[in-house]
Amino acid sequence: MYRGRLERDLNGWAAKGLLDPALVPALLADYDQRESAFSLGRVLMAMAALLIGGAVVLLIAANWEVIPRIARLVGIVAFIWSTYLKAAYWKSHNSPRLSEASLVAGLLFFGGGIALVGQMYHLSGDSTQAAIIWFAGAALTAVLFRSPAAAAVCGFLAFVVAGTEWSDSFVLRDNLLLWLMPAMAVVVIGLARFTGAGRTRHLAYLLIVCWVLILYGQHEAPVTALAIAAAGAVCYLLAALPASPLNGLARNAGAAPSFYSFLLLMMGLLLLHFEAEGLVEQVVLGIATLVAAIAGLFLSGRDNGAVRYLAYAAFAAETLYLSSATLGTILGTSGFFLISGLVVAMVAWLVVRLERSFSARNGVTEAGR
Amino acid sequence: MTDTAKAWRVPPFVAAVLAALIQTAVLGYMVESRATILRNGAEVRLQTVPVDPRDLMRGDYVTLSYPISRIDGAIVEGEVPKVSGRQSLLVRLAPGPDGLWNATEASFEALPAMSGTVVVRSLPFEFYPDSDGAVGDFISVTYGIERYYVPEGEGRVLETARNAQALEVVARVSPQGQMQIRQILLNGAPAYDEPLY
Repeated sequence: MYRGRLERDLNGWAAKGLLDPALVPALLADYDQRESAFSLGRVLMAMAALLIGGAVVLLIAANWEVIPRIARLVGIVAFIWSTYLKAAYWKSHNSPRLSEASLVAGLLFFGGGIALVGQMYHLSGDSTQAAIIWFAGAALTAVLFRSPAAAAVCGFLAFVVAGTEWSDSFVLRDNLLLWLMPAMAVVVIGLARFTGAGRTRHLAYLLIVCWVLILYGQHEAPVTALAIAAAGAVCYLLAALPASPLNGLARNAGAAPSFYSFLLLMMGLLLLHFEAEGLVEQVVLGIATLVAAIAGLFLSGRDNGAVRYLAYAAFAAETLYLSSATLGTILGTSGFFLISGLVVAMVAWLVVRLERSFSARNGVTEAGR
Repeated sequence: MTDTAKAWRVPPFVAAVLAALIQTAVLGYMVESRATILRNGAEVRLQTVPVDPRDLMRGDYVTLSYPISRIDGAIVEGEVPKVSGRQSLLVRLAPGPDGLWNATEASFEALPAMSGTVVVRSLPFEFYPDSDGAVGDFISVTYGIERYYVPEGEGRVLETARNAQALEVVARVSPQGQMQIRQILLNGAPAYDEPLY
């Protein structure tokens, strides 16, 4: 536990004379007063709540068939109302965490309500439509309460929508649903910005990456892979080039826009590798990949660790691939291992040099401030 | 983010009431859309047919199949889709002398209303036309009334009755052709009545 470590450290500093020994109890007392500090009473209370909640759930589940249908419906609606009202109560009493937890519970009840109503009233299930309604409910809650947690739920529900069996949908066509994924990603990004749920953004970006892979699965052809790589390259340049009009917006959103567009570019190039036929195509593609990796390092290697490591990985994989495609056939296995070793050593040397220059430049900029 | 966007904030209790109200309305709409069909829909009585494999009792519902689940290719009128894809079939039902309703006409396009008959819409299904562009001998379709949930342990009786062809279903049809089960008849006598709510 952090408290034990803190106490040890404080005592150590006091013993070395770095800290007035009289301060140690005062500092520990300050830590104990913090909201997040461990409190046995609070933990026991949470456990009691879980036990009581579990008992209620078990009781309802055991008598589910006996409870009249209309009573079950009223119960579900009552649960939904109580969670949102509790969320509002806690929000106005300055307990944001409890409020957010209530909102998540409310959204789960809403989803459960949709499923139960469908089952109880024999509504033939259109799971895609149900998931979209659930997603919309989560988005609405996120906007109304300006809730980061509801925005995160919304991000996960976008995957639920994408994961339902589209071919079973009654009212929506496959093609329409395919375009729903980027639309949901835009909604999730908008919610993440609005509610300040920074990490939820990743769900939206991942959704787009999944969508691109599904698109490729639907239209498996070199053109699609090329389009993915081109789209990735354009997005990456828009996000990373200092001259780009979107650069400010992308920087505002952290490292993610550059990383995911770079990932898209690399994915497109990888898919192209599967499509490539003949040595010339392979070599041209290989050089393009190496150039892209170096461009990534050059443009955002210093500030963006995620892009940097992806670029290293792509560079290393590509050089190995190229040497296996060109030299591998001539040299035989042992010679190929030798070449691979040399390539890896070269890449390692390059990475070490780059890392050193990045940190040196960082040091310079920091010293210059 | 602009200052106006930062300042935009719904009072918590207003937000709670709005969120709960809209989500309640969604659930209420689901329940009411079915109740409307049961209340106002046109009534049809359907024979059930044995289901293969015969032992298809799954947990707490009975699987139902009807003569109208298998549409004879000969009664399909109008244009037939040339390429395979998701389609839904409109089926005209008319009562027979025994009071049971049968399919008399089917089409992939809209069917005009005709007195004494009811048009039902099948759920979407993958349709593959024959190589000569015609429909096959028959088309298997579903209508969303193929499952009936019963209290635990009571399904077996219905299963046996269904396989002895002693089970009939009374359904109601919305103007859009959607069906809902209203009543289950065992040997001609009502066995299960579906309440509206």
